[in-house]
Amino acid sequence: MTAYMEKLNSNAAYEDAGRNWEGAMTFMVQKDAAFDRDGYIYLDLYHGKCRDAKFSLVETDLPTPEFKYSGPYTNWRKLINKEIDPIQGLLTGKFKLQGSMMKVMRFTKAAKEMVNTTALVQTEF
Amino acid sequence: MFGEDSVSYLSTLDIKKAAIITDRNLLRTEIPGLVKKALPEGADSMVLGDISEEPPLSEMTAHLSRINDFAPDWFLAVGGGSAMDTAKILFALHERPDLSVYDITPLVKLGLGKKSRLVAIPTTSGTGSECTWAAMLTVEDEKRKHELASPEIMPRYAILDPAFVVSLPPEQTRNTASDAIAHSVEAYGSSWHNAFSDAMAEKALELILGGITGVMGDPKNLELRNQVHVGASMAGLAFSNSQIGLVHALGHALGAQFKTPHGKAVALFLPHVVAYNYDACPERYDRLNRIVPEQLREASFSESLENILEAIGQARNGIEAGIAEAEYEANLDNLVELASESTGMVTNPKDAGSPELRSLFMRAFSEERP
Repeated sequence: MTAYMEKLNSNAAYEDAGRNWEGAMTFMVQKDAAFDRDGYIYLDLYHGKCRDAKFSLVETDLPTPEFKYSGPYTNWRKLINKEIDPIQGLLTGKFKLQGSMMKVMRFTKAAKEMVNTTALVQTEF
Repeated sequence: MFGEDSVSYLSTLDIKKAAIITDRNLLRTEIPGLVKKALPEGADSMVLGDISEEPPLSEMTAHLSRINDFAPDWFLAVGGGSAMDTAKILFALHERPDLSVYDITPLVKLGLGKKSRLVAIPTTSGTGSECTWAAMLTVEDEKRKHELASPEIMPRYAILDPAFVVSLPPEQTRNTASDAIAHSVEAYGSSWHNAFSDAMAEKALELILGGITGVMGDPKNLELRNQVHVGASMAGLAFSNSQIGLVHALGHALGAQFKTPHGKAVALFLPHVVAYNYDACPERYDRLNRIVPEQLREASFSESLENILEAIGQARNGIEAGIAEAEYEANLDNLVELASESTGMVTNPKDAGSPELRSLFMRAFSEERP
């Protein structure tokens, strides 16, 4: 999480795209055939920076976010490998969003940069 | 439904009470009468004709009580993008009085269509709104255009009757054709392009470019009007399946800030964005360039687009588009901000940040060709 937060905070394109964003987000990785537990990643995002990042297997251990973006583990893997676009994923039912879609749609570029940043972090599946 | 007298299809529908949503300009023409005449025998109708161009939400919702009192079972959107988008929103709010317009997103199940249905009869060629699940909403005090979208507000039928566009004045003809061309190009270049959108976009461009200069010279030519009209709808289907890009991101921002007619706004940016995008999708743009009629085609697609837009008499810089330079420069930060919030930023084939947006805004305003 620390590595991702550092990479995101060094991503100038994210800082530009997310400069007006306020609102914490939790990414929920739902268990499926390839992964046997739910996992939660909390990001406190504020004006182009990530102020805090936490991971937990228990959702209630984390602060309540304004947004929750959830999907099965397999789809998360495809997202990180850029086989799925985060917004297309929402429109095709591969991911679900809790929170204002209208607000999210104004920051689709920031969402894209968040995904781009995952590729900069060494990830083992 | 398309082609000559396709409006007579209305007589086959089970219409008991039709709310005809049209705009102020069309109210003075024979068009509302043509629609009423095509209704099934015994059908009642009301005409809501007080819709301005790109109306704000407050104006749209002011009409709701009349609609609700009439209780239509069919909404007939008769007009350009503004009338069609207004009809989509009124349809949604009539079906669901509890709804906020901001709930009109693809992620929310709205449950529409229980009381009424929606038909669109475009009178421009065109925004393609008759074939899309999008509606543009202007929020006046925000000077912003919101992109509302839901599959549930897509019209059940689109009726493309050339009689409804044959009297479209030259300025609206060129503006709406410019928009349709931009739809085809952006759909084709989109990072979400797919076989369906590609097929529609290529054919749309072929039909529009093959007919539009002829239409400008001979506006009463029904065959050419029909060709461009169908092409514009196909362009709407194309971008409905692959989204728009930077051209519309910039165009929506300009329209929200300066009330520039939408087609005129996108026409300013189209060649410059294509030039900017070129190295991200050269084969795609080269393929589209081969569709351009020979007499207008240059080596580069962006240059060809300039020729096309000039040939139809479209404004080629900000001054020609009626924007004062000082005001434009003073609002550049706002324009960049608005454009950066568009979904077109993500589906554009090439990334762009604030510096690139600013540069595109400046280049489009100036005399420079791309």
